[in-house]
Amino acid sequence: MKRTTASLIPGFILTLLLSGCIEPKTDIPEQVSGLAPIYYDGDWRNIGAEPPQPIRELFKIYYKDSIIFAGESLQGIHVIDNTDPFYPETIKFIRIPGNSDIAIKGSTLYANNLSDLVAIDISDLDDIRVLSRVQNAFPGQGAPLPGDYFGFFECPDPNMGAIIGWAEKILERPECWR
Amino acid sequence: MIRNIILATLITALWSCAESNDSEAAFSDSNTGTGGSLARFTIVGDYLYTVDQTTLHTFDISKAQEIKPLESTLVGEGVETIFPLNGFLFLGTRSGMLIYRISQGGAPQFVSNYQHVVSCDPVVANSQYAYVTLRVSNCRQAGPGAANQLEIIDIRNLNNPQVVAMYEMESPFGLGLDGQTLFLCEGSGGLKVYDVANPQNIQLLHHLTSFNAIDVIPLGGLLLVIGPDRIVQLDYSDINNIKVVSEIAIGV
Repeated sequence: MKRTTASLIPGFILTLLLSGCIEPKTDIPEQVSGLAPIYYDGDWRNIGAEPPQPIRELFKIYYKDSIIFAGESLQGIHVIDNTDPFYPETIKFIRIPGNSDIAIKGSTLYANNLSDLVAIDISDLDDIRVLSRVQNAFPGQGAPLPGDYFGFFECPDPNMGAIIGWAEKILERPECWR
Repeated sequence: MIRNIILATLITALWSCAESNDSEAAFSDSNTGTGGSLARFTIVGDYLYTVDQTTLHTFDISKAQEIKPLESTLVGEGVETIFPLNGFLFLGTRSGMLIYRISQGGAPQFVSNYQHVVSCDPVVANSQYAYVTLRVSNCRQAGPGAANQLEIIDIRNLNNPQVVAMYEMESPFGLGLDGQTLFLCEGSGGLKVYDVANPQNIQLLHHLTSFNAIDVIPLGGLLLVIGPDRIVQLDYSDINNIKVVSEIAIGV
């Protein structure tokens, strides 16, 4: 990805093979919109129940037995007691790093924990337990770069932790592209 | 919607009749919840279906302690949403809507597809019609000629889905269906409420613009609306007089 000599050679050959010509990308713009990695600092497999947290950015919703489960982008699930819809009460935050989707059967919550699928017992919200885990069930999650993306991106820094997603960002002189 | 929930509950009950139901947990034991139209996970009976980009995954979840991956079906590019109905799965993809039948043993079998211009699109359906929104705004992959619109597709013959009408929209995201009422999220353009009794001539009943709407769940009179910055609940038991019940906003 980063155009070091080692990574340049296969790309160079591939370009030759595919198109029979070379189009070197010499113009790195001062400012351009592209993607930047979202990192998770710590062990992304660590799932747990936490006190309620403020809403930052929601994008998914699920409902069961008068409880609203609202997905906080890539961080986890707000659990909201909606017994009285006039006074919904946020009661817990279930931390699931890299999470984007859930479904619930009985008292078992199925969720992606980055690229893994996990089954979590939520019958006691003070003591949730991971019942099982399918490793790398979703290899596309937390990928080095979204598979369908072509353009500039911020070069990943392995020291920052695991990449749990990508967000649009204005990049300055980006050194990585595809 | 309610009929579907009842049906789904019945099916679930039939399929899991061996399970006991005597728990005192806050959650009822055997049934599943309801997702929004942007969901990429759905549970039908003992099976969890998920979509990610190119693949429809099937997992046997009859034992939560031991999830069994069953199948991974390559279904094409840009799979975004999954919607279950009466033993079928409707997949919203960037190039169209795919219909799969859930066979005995849980494996999904391809039935048909409905192609459209490349864009971003969830789908909801009843036994007669599927409602698909196509969005170009903020859709990186949208193809040339793509437009922001709602498409209504006749699915009475699931083997041969036919488009019956298209309606211009601003920037449609998720949608929800309750009987003849269609709730359609327009992102920062708010929420639209349609009477879709006549698919050829749907009627806009309300356009609520005071909040950003991405996805909805209709719950028979109560509508959950999610935006990136809030959860809004609306009482639509009187469709002519929709009222805000409560709101949880960003930072709260």
